[in-house]
Amino acid sequence: MDSSDAALVARVLHGEVNAYSALVSRYRDKYARYAVHMLGNREDAEEALQDAFTRAYRSLARCEDPERFGAWLFRILVNRCRTSGARRVRRGQTFVHDETALLNASEEHPAEQTMWREEIERALGELSADQREAFLLKYVEELGYDEMAEITGVGVSALKMRVMRACDRLRVLLREVHSA
Amino acid sequence: MPDWGRNTLELMVQELQRPVRVDDSFDRRVMVRVRRIYAERRHRGIVGWLAAAANVTRRPAWAAALAAGVVAVVSLSVLKKSPSTVPANGQAIPVQFVLVAPDAHSVAVVGDFNNWGLNDTALVAENHDGVWSVSAPVHTGVHRYAFLVNGKQWVADPTAPRAADDDFGQPSSALVVEASTQ
Repeated sequence: MDSSDAALVARVLHGEVNAYSALVSRYRDKYARYAVHMLGNREDAEEALQDAFTRAYRSLARCEDPERFGAWLFRILVNRCRTSGARRVRRGQTFVHDETALLNASEEHPAEQTMWREEIERALGELSADQREAFLLKYVEELGYDEMAEITGVGVSALKMRVMRACDRLRVLLREVHSA
Repeated sequence: MPDWGRNTLELMVQELQRPVRVDDSFDRRVMVRVRRIYAERRHRGIVGWLAAAANVTRRPAWAAALAAGVVAVVSLSVLKKSPSTVPANGQAIPVQFVLVAPDAHSVAVVGDFNNWGLNDTALVAENHDGVWSVSAPVHTGVHRYAFLVNGKQWVADPTAPRAADDDFGQPSSALVVEASTQ
């Protein structure tokens, strides 16, 4: 049976609701990475990811190019992460660093590696949300600037500036840690 | 610990690109939400079908159509009986078209508002256990439309006023869309 995104979307739209679980399995880990790094908190990340999958299902008929369901879903997730981040700012929280976000690292790597990862997460948390988003999309998710512009609705020039400033800030933060 | 002889950011990115695994219960939690949405939608479809059945009991003339396996219901808050009073002014109002056709393989809505489906402009309805529905913005004014079942059977809407036969020589229904006053 054809298991392409387009085929699964078509099956779901024809009432085969369980076909959606294949799309969830296909994209959950990949996009969980972005949400965890963007929000710094596994609980918020999973909530944003669940919201993204649910919203995508509700609006599936509006997915203009089902073959690119993943990219469409990712755009929804980026928006959900923005909303979640904004809600935290209103609550007086910014970047909630959570040890459980490091679960994989702590299980698979020695203590020094875990410390390094904690430093990375703390440095990411020091960035503004706009800079963190741009840095993660560019270097971790490896998107081109045109794709980033399409997803974020921000112009390419502004995105390049955000990425550059994020990199500059991260270099300073990481060197401060190791010179301390 | 990073090897500072390499680019620090490169090492950072390498670390951040490690997979993040989600708990296995995540899929179940998502699918619970999804199935709830699906059930709500089905329920709305069933309600629509029940409403159609209730109408049939009040209007026995439709029983023959039901027996034939095709009953159409147009859910329109803007459907009026006196179309002549409504001029077209270009404002688009969302309209939901519903057709109960359990044996149909496909249903589309064609009308003067979508050029009668020419050039792939037909509104393709979604099937919810035999209740086919589709929503679309239709400009205010007086319109003619019909359901196209299985790509060939032209079915007028028995719940709407019948339009006079037009050049297509097919039965069609009258639709009047007014701007909402609410």
